[in-house]
Amino acid sequence: MLHKKIVFITLLLSLFFWNCQDKTKQEISLPKTSKSSIKIDYAAGFAITNYENSTLLTINNPWPDSDKNYRYLLLTKAQAAVSTYNKSDYDGIITIPVEKMVVTSTTHIPALELLEVENTLIGFPGTDYISSEKTRQLIDSGAIRELGKNEGINTEVLLELNPNVVIGFGIDGNNKSFETIRKSGIPVIYNGDWVETSPLAKAEWVKFFGALYNKSNQAESIFKAIETDYLEAKSLAENASSKPRVLSGAMHKDIWYLPSGTSPEAQLLKDANVDYLWANSESKGSLALNFEVVFNKAKDADIWISPSYYNSLEALEKANSHYTQFDAFKNKNMYSFVNTAGKTGGVTYYEIGTARPDLVLKDLVKIAHPELLENYELQFFKRLE
Amino acid sequence: MHTNYTYAFITLIILLVICILANISLGSVSIPISAIFESFVGTLDHESWSYIIKDYRLPKALTAVLVGSGLGISGLLMQTLFRNPLAGPFVLGISSGASLGVALVILGAGVFGGAFATIFVSKWSIIIAASLGSFLVLSAVLVVSSKVRDTMAILIIGLMFGSITAAVVSVLSYFSSAEQLQQYIFWGFGSLGNLSWQELGIFFIVYSLGMLLTIFSIKGLNSLLLGENYAKSLGLNIKQTRLIIIIATSLLAGTITAFAGPIAFIGLAIPHITRQIFTTSNHKILIPAVFLFGAIIMLICDSIAQLPTSDYTLPINAITSLMGAPVVIWLLVRKRKMLF
Repeated sequence: MLHKKIVFITLLLSLFFWNCQDKTKQEISLPKTSKSSIKIDYAAGFAITNYENSTLLTINNPWPDSDKNYRYLLLTKAQAAVSTYNKSDYDGIITIPVEKMVVTSTTHIPALELLEVENTLIGFPGTDYISSEKTRQLIDSGAIRELGKNEGINTEVLLELNPNVVIGFGIDGNNKSFETIRKSGIPVIYNGDWVETSPLAKAEWVKFFGALYNKSNQAESIFKAIETDYLEAKSLAENASSKPRVLSGAMHKDIWYLPSGTSPEAQLLKDANVDYLWANSESKGSLALNFEVVFNKAKDADIWISPSYYNSLEALEKANSHYTQFDAFKNKNMYSFVNTAGKTGGVTYYEIGTARPDLVLKDLVKIAHPELLENYELQFFKRLE
Repeated sequence: MHTNYTYAFITLIILLVICILANISLGSVSIPISAIFESFVGTLDHESWSYIIKDYRLPKALTAVLVGSGLGISGLLMQTLFRNPLAGPFVLGISSGASLGVALVILGAGVFGGAFATIFVSKWSIIIAASLGSFLVLSAVLVVSSKVRDTMAILIIGLMFGSITAAVVSVLSYFSSAEQLQQYIFWGFGSLGNLSWQELGIFFIVYSLGMLLTIFSIKGLNSLLLGENYAKSLGLNIKQTRLIIIIATSLLAGTITAFAGPIAFIGLAIPHITRQIFTTSNHKILIPAVFLFGAIIMLICDSIAQLPTSDYTLPINAITSLMGAPVVIWLLVRKRKMLF
């Protein structure tokens, strides 16, 4: 009881001082002029606008069909000292560069490493999924705390860590633990890289992290390099003499799941200049097809990419004898990324593939047109044995 | 057997044959009827069509026959044994027992780690786990039911077992990887088109055992309808009869759940539909009738679920309940009372 009183009094006092501080600062207001936006070419999910004394970060589409926009005010320490703002106008006020960060998806890790700020990462849910050497060392040394399993963030540990910001991701925005974290005063930003519809758009989210670390220029040049590399691989593939027919996915029970023609995966296959047999399908998300349809269309496909989580021909055969009837299976022309994993079992493709679409595309070009990239070593995909 | 039933049975058998043929000829890929016959004679030179018909659609149709008839019969056995119209393999926790067995095998890796750490659970271990799980839960219900007089209490106990397994499964799910969860959830959707000929063979052997035991217990079942005390006075060995019925049910419902996943609704509804149409409670008539109805309705449900000519399919469980529940409601309303 006494304890509660103390907390209450402290709160009252701090409110009082807060008000005092505000009064002294009200003379200077944010100039809304002289703004410039950071150029974003592919991604639709975020925007960064630089004002003279602040930066505005907007998140537009953190999950599919979301109707909310999130606005975050980014201030350097110098800017924070001289500016006033109305707290309720924003979903979070973040002092940049961020010094303590929590991210929740392995796809966020490469951006931190590319910007050379992985040492600001202090917590992650499911650290075993992280494969990258650099970050693994930080985990092993205890610098990065485990925050729980399967996105079920351990809120108490997180509050104790008290990061400047939590980068979450939401399937639908109903995440209770993120709500709790936000209420405790730690800003939560929903990262929507996974909603983007093209591989380059996903990779462009490095600029989002760049803004949080006040490293926008560096982020820009990192992305530029990736983009150039990607487009080079794409134009290289255009010169290919053949256009192999490609099948993807595998069955769960008797339903075959495979990427729809509008998905980033299909985009990669298109850019690798292969004939993905379902390139013209237009449904959202993945296709769920009947075995008959797939078999009828793709029995004689040349290459079979990413047969779900199966890691060997034997595993496929054990799961379902129908698989053995495909020509790509008979000719052992099957490639999957599940066998390329880090020390603790995290599949590297899931971690790095989003940030480095150039490498994924090169892998596919190498698989489909080996003569074009003779000295290139596959990064993610391996032929199934 | 009365003559009026003879006609009914002949009609049903013809209907079953028609349904099997329709089920084989309908599918996402449009294959002309002529090609279907050619494939069985061996003169079809379209390789992938021939494979689709012989190795995908035909096993699927036979699975549907086994699943529909087996679930119908096991539902009938349960309803008679517990003398409760709400009984069925689902209500008494056979399915939840099977789900628990499968969850332990698929999701157990996340909890026990090490030795189990593989996402490839062989089909056989899933099948054995499901059968064991359903047998254990049903035995538990049986042990309890020998202590409890009230059949309603037994139903509630079955539901409680269901809750317990659901709780254990949710704990297991929490510690499992996305791939394992996916595998488990898809098993829960139920599916008929996933068995090779070899699996179908083993399925059929166990299923036949269950059917044989069912045929053995027809006399006992009819006596049970009159109440246990009366059955005893007829010289029926209640304990033995009960045990045989339970074993038959767990063999049937257990293997079906193991091979095809938990298929909803059929086990509960088919016996009611049959009773309403045949207006009898004599198991000599009911058992073959339930067998035929179950197979026919399952085949029809599967044909609908395949959404002929479209590339998509629906989970079989959605169809069984969507189609079946209104039929039962309509029958009960029309007859104004339940025959039981």
